[in-house]
Amino acid sequence: MMKIKLSFPSKDHIRRILAEVISQLLNYLIILIIGLAIGAVVIFFSGLDPFAAYAALWRGAFGSWYKVLDTLDRSTVLILSGLAAAVAFRTSVFNLGLEGQLYVGAMAAAIVGFSFTSLPKIIHIPLCLLAGIVAGGLWTIPVSYLRLRWKVPVMVPTLMLNYIGILLTEYLVAFPFKDSTATMSASPVLLETARLPKFIHGSQINIGFLIALAMVFIVYWFMFKTKIGYELRVVGFNPTFAASSGMPVKRSVFLAMLISGGLVGLGGATMIAGFFGRFMSSFSVGYGWDGMMISLLAQNNPIGVLPASLFYAALANGALTMQSQTGVNQNVVGMVKGAIMFFVTAQLFLTFFKGRILKWKST
Amino acid sequence: MAEALSIKNICKEFPGVKANQDISMSIDQGEIRAIVGENGAGKTTLMNILYGLYQPDSGSIFIKGKEVKLHNSHAAISHGIGMVHQHFKLVPSFTLGQNIVLGIEPERFMLVDNKKLMKSVQETSEKYGLPIEINNLAGNASVGEQQRAELLKALYRGADILILDEPTAVLTDMETEELFKMLRRLAEQGKTILFISHKLREVLSVSDTTTVMRLGKVVGTVKTSETDSCQLAEMMIGRETEGGRMRQDNVTPGEVVLELKNIFVRDERNLLKVKDVSLQLHSSEVLGVAGVDGNGQEELIEAIMGLRPLVSGEILAHGKDITSTSTRQIRESGVAYIPSDRYKSGVAVEANVWENVIANEYYHPPVSGPLSFQASNIENITRNIIESFHVKTPGIKTQTGHLSGGNIQRLIVGRELGSGKAKAIVASQPTRGIDISGTEAIRHTLLDFANRGAGVLLVSADLDEILTLSDRVVVFFEGELFDAGIVDDEIRTRIGNLMTGITEGCLS
Repeated sequence: MMKIKLSFPSKDHIRRILAEVISQLLNYLIILIIGLAIGAVVIFFSGLDPFAAYAALWRGAFGSWYKVLDTLDRSTVLILSGLAAAVAFRTSVFNLGLEGQLYVGAMAAAIVGFSFTSLPKIIHIPLCLLAGIVAGGLWTIPVSYLRLRWKVPVMVPTLMLNYIGILLTEYLVAFPFKDSTATMSASPVLLETARLPKFIHGSQINIGFLIALAMVFIVYWFMFKTKIGYELRVVGFNPTFAASSGMPVKRSVFLAMLISGGLVGLGGATMIAGFFGRFMSSFSVGYGWDGMMISLLAQNNPIGVLPASLFYAALANGALTMQSQTGVNQNVVGMVKGAIMFFVTAQLFLTFFKGRILKWKST
Repeated sequence: MAEALSIKNICKEFPGVKANQDISMSIDQGEIRAIVGENGAGKTTLMNILYGLYQPDSGSIFIKGKEVKLHNSHAAISHGIGMVHQHFKLVPSFTLGQNIVLGIEPERFMLVDNKKLMKSVQETSEKYGLPIEINNLAGNASVGEQQRAELLKALYRGADILILDEPTAVLTDMETEELFKMLRRLAEQGKTILFISHKLREVLSVSDTTTVMRLGKVVGTVKTSETDSCQLAEMMIGRETEGGRMRQDNVTPGEVVLELKNIFVRDERNLLKVKDVSLQLHSSEVLGVAGVDGNGQEELIEAIMGLRPLVSGEILAHGKDITSTSTRQIRESGVAYIPSDRYKSGVAVEANVWENVIANEYYHPPVSGPLSFQASNIENITRNIIESFHVKTPGIKTQTGHLSGGNIQRLIVGRELGSGKAKAIVASQPTRGIDISGTEAIRHTLLDFANRGAGVLLVSADLDEILTLSDRVVVFFEGELFDAGIVDDEIRTRIGNLMTGITEGCLS
């Protein structure tokens, strides 16, 4: 009979983990450099100084204590949106409707926020956020129904529901809920009892960020340490196997959609109850779409969503400063992001480094 | 008559399998040659070599006495070899006529003279007596008509040697009769025909000579008029059980652990694949289910496991009705399942080892509490199964796809049987494609569980496996189940006849 090696963690095992970590870091580093280099070429050929531009980018994102706080504040909705994408993608449910779910969640939070008077903060805030979660989650149900009843792939219906969700909320703030004193399409201002408290004087950052931070760990725990999260992941890996093991495949798909919509709906609610204080039409600059990119960047790992969101937030904040100080159009950052995503999804360098490191360490 | 095709000493090896070993045969012009053999006998490999899809490791091919090298199917076609695959390769949105000329249309200033072209197709159709409606869309044509179009496609390209891979598998009896008439007519016109089949009745009725293959070798070639089904069946499946018998004889079975009553099941294409199947599996019994792949075995198993709806019928586990309950309830009533396609239904290759080990037990203690997993219990359970079923893995967190096929199968067997709760074990192709030590270990495990009182329903296309392990054998043929009885000295002949569709005596 053959001998089984059970001593843990073996040297080989440690080497593999090290190789994994180092190759991941190198992978992202190289991709970042390539992305920035591509941006630099464009800046250079538009007759500006790339080094000055990137220095401004850095200052805008991390230049001072308040800039750092701003970046963290901006990451709030990105984290929640990224987690939403990660849960769905891990289950192999391609929810492309995050943007619509975000708007619907935000609208629900706004309605709760400006309509219920004389509620104490301790009730009004949770109620407001809950409304965002529920509305975002409910917005996925038509798609889940199509998927489970008629096996319609979720991609197209979720995509289409984006338009319905966004335009519906736009209609609501243009007519029934329009604040007549506002110059643009916007809802009334939320009551003070519904606003997320700020906790650092002089900064916009509010408890929404802490909630998002907590959700990173909750979602990680849920996906990797609980029975239902396990079902979701196994269904994501191989639904045929999940079915023959007796797992509830349909329920898992339904839940993944629901949780995904709920998370991004919460993200919308934190924007309204935190940063904006009212619902404004087209308030999101593609946070739902960014969430998908962030999740891909994090390889659909909830913990990885945190650094990926911070990175996205830093680029967004930095881009503004870059534009105002050096005159480089902030869309250059969009190109940098695009280039980075291209190389991340291609995973070219990852396999390259993994092979190299394993070889190098074993010789 | 002149020799149309001869092959000499063809060898072809795939990793771990000698698919063709020293194959030689010679076929005359105008001859209808049947090639018969079990699954994995090497027939399809040989045909693919003849059609230029595979290159032989050694050996040579002669057409009309001249040695040829068939580097690809274009070379085969230009040497007059045509092939009709089991699954037709027609473009459904093109007409049959367009399909026939597809890829070889004569062009003139980028334009195709469609009228002239279709006329030439029509002429070919009439010349060979293969009637088709050339303007009919392939997607709308009947299966028989699609097959005629496939034949015409080969003939239109000038084929003198036609290879047909299980041409009757998709046909009705009427269509089969028609096909055979057409084949005889083609042979009279000087075409040489090779066809692969599992059905001895058809082989006996249409072929001039029959070559029997077994385990990658040619067992023999006989004149069809001078043989009968019993002789062919015996050649196909051999006299001796490879590797000897592992199961002791005369086991007394216990009470019924799994019972099927008049089961009917349809497949994805809505065809009736299981027709009125009834069987009883007893405790301490190994019941072998033999038969050529695709005769309804898979559909039956999936129906037992609650993965495919029944059209009608009843399934009882230990006397308890489990018809149309969930897969989980079926498993909880003591039915373990070793699926035939381990990568599709047996594991999630991207998940790690422990995640695959707990797949049946994850939802209750000791694996999980009310909400979350009990990490230390999981580790113990996984280690235990790795150890007792000798799964070779660097660790319990290793990605399962990195293990070898044999170790993945050990893991699956360990997961299904490790808890010791299985009363009925549904094992489908449990050792297909895995190494010898893994095969031995899994067979021993199955017999162990039978000795300890479980019933084993062993579905396998490998007849030697069935005969090595089983007490009793039933045979699937075209969705129906036939009893071949207790394993004794004459069982091979009985199985051989039943699996090739002959239920009464020896057909000649």
